[in-house]
Amino acid sequence: MIKIANLSFSYNKETPVLTGIKLEFDRRSTAIIGQNGAGKTTFVKLLKGLLKADEGEILIHDHNVNRKTAAQLARTIGLVFQNPNDQIFKRTVLDEVMFGPLNIKMDKQTAKEKAIEALKMVELDGKLEMNPHDLSLSEKKLLCIASVVAMETDIIIFDEPTIAQDHGGKEKIRQIIQALKDKNKLVMTIIHDMDFVAENFERTIVFTEGKVLLDGDTRYVFSQKELLETACVEAPGITKLAERLGFKDTVITVEEFINLKQTCSPPR
Amino acid sequence: MKSISLYEEGTSFVHDVDPITKLWYIPFAILIPIILPLFTVSFLLIGLSLALLLAAKVIRKTIPVFGFVFLILITVVLIQGMFKPENETVLFQIGPLTMYKEGLLFALTITLRVINIIGAFMILVLTTKPSDLVEALVRKGMSPRIGYVVVSVFQIIPEMMATMSTITDAQRARGMETEGKLLVRIKAFLPLLGPVVLGSLINTKERAMALEVRGFNSQAPKTFLYEEKTYQFSKILQMGMLLLTVAAVVWRIFL
Repeated sequence: MIKIANLSFSYNKETPVLTGIKLEFDRRSTAIIGQNGAGKTTFVKLLKGLLKADEGEILIHDHNVNRKTAAQLARTIGLVFQNPNDQIFKRTVLDEVMFGPLNIKMDKQTAKEKAIEALKMVELDGKLEMNPHDLSLSEKKLLCIASVVAMETDIIIFDEPTIAQDHGGKEKIRQIIQALKDKNKLVMTIIHDMDFVAENFERTIVFTEGKVLLDGDTRYVFSQKELLETACVEAPGITKLAERLGFKDTVITVEEFINLKQTCSPPR
Repeated sequence: MKSISLYEEGTSFVHDVDPITKLWYIPFAILIPIILPLFTVSFLLIGLSLALLLAAKVIRKTIPVFGFVFLILITVVLIQGMFKPENETVLFQIGPLTMYKEGLLFALTITLRVINIIGAFMILVLTTKPSDLVEALVRKGMSPRIGYVVVSVFQIIPEMMATMSTITDAQRARGMETEGKLLVRIKAFLPLLGPVVLGSLINTKERAMALEVRGFNSQAPKTFLYEEKTYQFSKILQMGMLLLTVAAVVWRIFL
């Protein structure tokens, strides 16, 4: 779906931000993790065409991203920004969600239908005429998700979706991600919430200092304790607990932990 | 985030001089050529400013500023040289264009004064941190509120530029075309102003509250975050500039 070869980028010549990135993405939901400044956001901005690579190429559905503007790529790849206030600029919730679909030349009626459908998904369909700036931060974040979901892109990237979300908000985002996965879309996220990664993403890529340190199934990645430490990333709390209790297998969810606890007692 | 300050970090003696003395140098460099309107005096002061900029190793950073100013000064030279009402003595002719001595001398006076002013300001701007300058002025009695306003401009403008860039990216990500023809860019730019202005207003409100909870309006005497920047020859330099200015006035009046 996405092929990246030898990708390098720097904002100024002295400090490379990304060096020699080589990756391929299929439809598996993917989390990109790593400490601040590791190059995660720069990487997704390159995927989205918001930045142009210094070296290497990115192919999405065999089209070279370097030859397209971000606006042209909007039909294929959606990006939900971390700070909702950077994204919201229409006067009503409905207009905000319709903005993207109208930009990619959906007709008005379809755009409205898609917008309402996306707003139902995030449970904001009761606030269509409300000014987006009157929503809570958590709702604004959901609105931004809806405004990208409504564009029906094949690929959706979330930048820190769980920030400012309480348990209910996280649950809603979990359901949205699942719904998108069910529609066979590639869902990617940049995230620091490792519990959320473990429970919702099949593949995890660890970035450090502009390079890919680890890439694989989420369970495999969280089993690489020493490499994770190199990248200043911690495994989920439940993984660390299971390890401390002496479980041999890497446990990444609470359910797995309970199942294992019921079937066998950890060695003392 | 890009800084809008032109300050260039350095270790020269010009950097070591305290901000107030550098501030004194500006009226000194401006007033002396006005009091003594001789080309020699202007050249001397320009030479002094350029020498100080060279010593501070910041002369390269003045090139774009002087380049821009020269563009304007060329028009002054041409207009004054050709069209000043007092023009009488023809200096040279190029085709139908005649250059006059009176106009050129007047343009040269303006040019030297402008270069002199720019040079003096450049010494202050390129070798003094804005925060050091403001803190020095607050120590001298300027209101901390005005000080904060000045310093915050240096923070807020780059912040607004960064916000503008992020908002533009967010809209490009949703299919708004911002690249290409001028009309496309203007069409894309106007809707972005709303979130930028609104965001700035929200930030201002939050910034005001953050300042207030940290005692910004407290009437108690304030302590300063940084140590006062002092230079051992400050007083000598300041008195020297004052005496030279007085001497120039005396020279002009009595001699």
